Amino acid sequence: MKELLRRLQYLFNRRRFDEELAADLEAHREMAALQGGIPLGNTLHLREEARDAWGWTWIDRFGQDLRYAMRTLRKSPGFTVMAVLMLALGTGVNIAAFGFFDFMVLRPLNVRNPATLLRFHRRSPQAYSFVLPYPEIAFFREYSKTLSAVLALDYTNLAVDGEERPLKAHFVSENWFQELGASAALGRLLEPALDGAVHAEPVVVLGYGFWRRHFGGDPSAVGRVVLFNNKPATVVGVASREFSGLSLAQPDIWAPIAQQPYFSPGSRLLTDFSIDIGWVQMWGRLQPGVTPQAAQEELKSLAAELHRQHPNDIWEHESIPGEPSGYAQSLLTGGRRGTGAEARDNIYPVAALVGTLTLLILAVACANLGSLLLARGVARSREIAIRIAVGAGRARLVRQFLTESFMLAVLGTAVGLLLGHFLLRMLMVSSGSPLWLDPTPDWRVIAFAIGVAGATALLFGLAPALQIARQRHRVTAVRQILIGAQVAASSVLLIVAALLVRALDNATAAQPGFAYRSIVAVEPELNMHGYTPTRARTYFDTLQERLRHLPGVESVSLTNTPPFGNVIRTERIEIDGRAVWALSDNVEPEFFRTMKIPLLRGRTFMAGESNAVIVSESLARRFWPQSDPLQQQLPVGEDASNTVKCTVVGVSGDARVAMLEDPDVSEIYFPAAPDQLTGMTAVIRTAGAPESVVTAAASIAKTIDPQVLPSVQMLQPALRRKLQTARYGALAVTVLGIAALGLACLGIVGVVAYTVSQRIQEIGIRVALGANPRHVLSAILRQFSLPVAVGLSFGVCAAAGLSLVLRRVLYGISGLDPAAYLSAIVLFALAAALAAWLPARRALRLDPMRALRCD
Amino acid sequence: MPKLDMPSGALVLLILRVLRSGALHGYAIAQRIHSLSSEALHVEEGALYPALQKILLKGWVTSEWGTSETNRRVRFYRLTPAGRKQLEAEMSAYGQVHEAIQAVLRTA
Repeated sequence: MKELLRRLQYLFNRRRFDEELAADLEAHREMAALQGGIPLGNTLHLREEARDAWGWTWIDRFGQDLRYAMRTLRKSPGFTVMAVLMLALGTGVNIAAFGFFDFMVLRPLNVRNPATLLRFHRRSPQAYSFVLPYPEIAFFREYSKTLSAVLALDYTNLAVDGEERPLKAHFVSENWFQELGASAALGRLLEPALDGAVHAEPVVVLGYGFWRRHFGGDPSAVGRVVLFNNKPATVVGVASREFSGLSLAQPDIWAPIAQQPYFSPGSRLLTDFSIDIGWVQMWGRLQPGVTPQAAQEELKSLAAELHRQHPNDIWEHESIPGEPSGYAQSLLTGGRRGTGAEARDNIYPVAALVGTLTLLILAVACANLGSLLLARGVARSREIAIRIAVGAGRARLVRQFLTESFMLAVLGTAVGLLLGHFLLRMLMVSSGSPLWLDPTPDWRVIAFAIGVAGATALLFGLAPALQIARQRHRVTAVRQILIGAQVAASSVLLIVAALLVRALDNATAAQPGFAYRSIVAVEPELNMHGYTPTRARTYFDTLQERLRHLPGVESVSLTNTPPFGNVIRTERIEIDGRAVWALSDNVEPEFFRTMKIPLLRGRTFMAGESNAVIVSESLARRFWPQSDPLQQQLPVGEDASNTVKCTVVGVSGDARVAMLEDPDVSEIYFPAAPDQLTGMTAVIRTAGAPESVVTAAASIAKTIDPQVLPSVQMLQPALRRKLQTARYGALAVTVLGIAALGLACLGIVGVVAYTVSQRIQEIGIRVALGANPRHVLSAILRQFSLPVAVGLSFGVCAAAGLSLVLRRVLYGISGLDPAAYLSAIVLFALAAALAAWLPARRALRLDPMRALRCD
Repeated sequence: MPKLDMPSGALVLLILRVLRSGALHGYAIAQRIHSLSSEALHVEEGALYPALQKILLKGWVTSEWGTSETNRRVRFYRLTPAGRKQLEAEMSAYGQVHEAIQAVLRTA
């Protein structure tokens, strides 16, 4: 310990100690000379050896290397800028991807004590649901001993004067802000003591963005009474800018969930145990020292108790699994429900795919830089020979070159960090993410960047450094491997880009199986407004009647699944032990005619029909490949003991109404039962442009019930919005692919040019002796065709492997789509051939005499 | 007298030993070893100063400024208590090894 302190003292006072040492040595010599001794050896060298004992020589050497590297890099600014940019591209993309992963998966949410927060959902052997009936949540809240707090959240749209679009309102339990540790920008937030009761004074808290937009940031907004859905409520405060609760959306207002019926008169959200009433999500905070398992056990027994009281609504054997909810990733799970085991969406395969693609770019950049450094090393062979001649050791040379590489890597990564931050910020702005998702690099991203810098420096620097230090001029093998690696990596990127572009073409150009271009959907969400099925019938009858009389309207019908919406219902069907998942929908008879989904066999439903089913073509083919699907019996139900046999009355064309991207799903349609009417959506097909109908339909809906403000939207823009992410993805991968192609071509140009210049005399002699120029050319290029071919085939295999993951997001394109592969390969081959031919051409234009004379 | 090679590791021991009787500067240390060994052992600068640096670092000696015979400011090295303990330890270890080697040489 003391020794270490002394050592550090030597480090900090190196100059003084060195001077003392020099004085000692000089005195020694002086005295030795007096006694006739002959001083031998170099004092500088002696001093250096003595200093070695301090153990800090490596710092001096490192400093020397660093200064030397700096000088070398400054001497060739063209190379340096090129290398730094190449690295910045490679590392920047990776840093951006990691940054995204970081704030989705690794960084805890910016709420109080995120580690003890759990998101709960319902599961039984037959069904699952990520939304709960509010009374069930209230029951848990009242009786749970393992949870210190239970939070509830319900999304609704509310209308306010002066805003064209409905507001995004979050009805939350009154402990919401307190539990999440939120602070108010102005006024107060919801407080359990004031806002918990059903009959408390109606209040709302404004979102920061809405406050700025609607009130111009006026502080006097607090305390005002504002009409929401024509109901007066007092604005009590404004939430802080960063706060958006447990949601990736930025809500406009928050209100106590106890007051939801006040804003939507007749709503049974607070009292009705049936699941169709609302979309309430539930979180819980664990008591200190309680494990999630204990909480789940307790909630399960509470659910069993509740099942005895409400056997129809609370499932038998219902369990309430809770998942850690302290990370943004958990917010991606919306409000899904369905029968059978839940279909999980997983962020990890996508993350792995993105990670692979971005690492590929980095690999291409590294391989390219490696070849550049090799070429430089050959150009610097004189310098290296001199350094070896004056006594530089191999290890020292390798260290010198590695220092240069590290410096390049650090510079490149620093620029890459900026680039990555910029990319991420652009992504966030364009996708309208909430403000608390902060793309500023935290320590994890910085650590990642440092790791990337170190790894890249070793990756692109080590092989050239070893080759150069060994003074080997035959670096062809290494170069060929590097070329092969570049070709493989960039061809994967190109193929994936081609697949994504094809997929997007397919999704936008081809029909999703119905006439979406001329469809308008009217979604009144009657169940949120306390409608009974009978009242809903009247509402929809009036609505449909009036809509049919609008000019330009061809057909109107009702469906349970809003097309291109976020609601998905799945049904599990099992015949003879074979189980199939299908997207299920409950529709009125007119639905097929309205949507222009062809009925290939049989007929549509008849009014009031039950136990009938219409299946899509692909489902029929899967179950009854040989026999006639009509009049077949399809067992449908939540569990095996409780199935209802439905008769197939028709076969429809495949139509992707809900899940556009997955080609494997089939659809199945049931007649709409009367009690489902409250959740229905009206679809309208127009003769001409659907724009004209949108406003008219909205005002018609308003005259029927001014409380209900349906969202009215055309499907074409909805589809475009849905495809927006995919379009960005395809664009990004295409840019990466082209960049990789460019890099690889650059590498090929360099290598071929170098080879030509090395063999210029040989070429001259051959041409002088009358060799056919074409033969000479092919002799030069032959050594590159092998690595390119090998790299390309590796690339194709890797892309095929990746496409297995991609398949689910490819919008109906096969992962082995020949057009995509072929176009990518042809593009690649052409570019590579051009890149090789351009420098090789120089060899043929040579004057043999000049070639022979040149050194 | 012919010059003998210094056995490795012995130099530190010799330096510590000659410093036991009082502080010396570098040249004096070399001289002292030279004369005490009847001019058999010759300590080169290239070995002496690195060894001195190592000993300083270990805390076995401290250095202080003094004036040499040539009227020059030089560093005198003085044994510390830790250095004294180290010297004892090294001397007894050396004695044991020496005796063991002698025993082998005598009887083999």
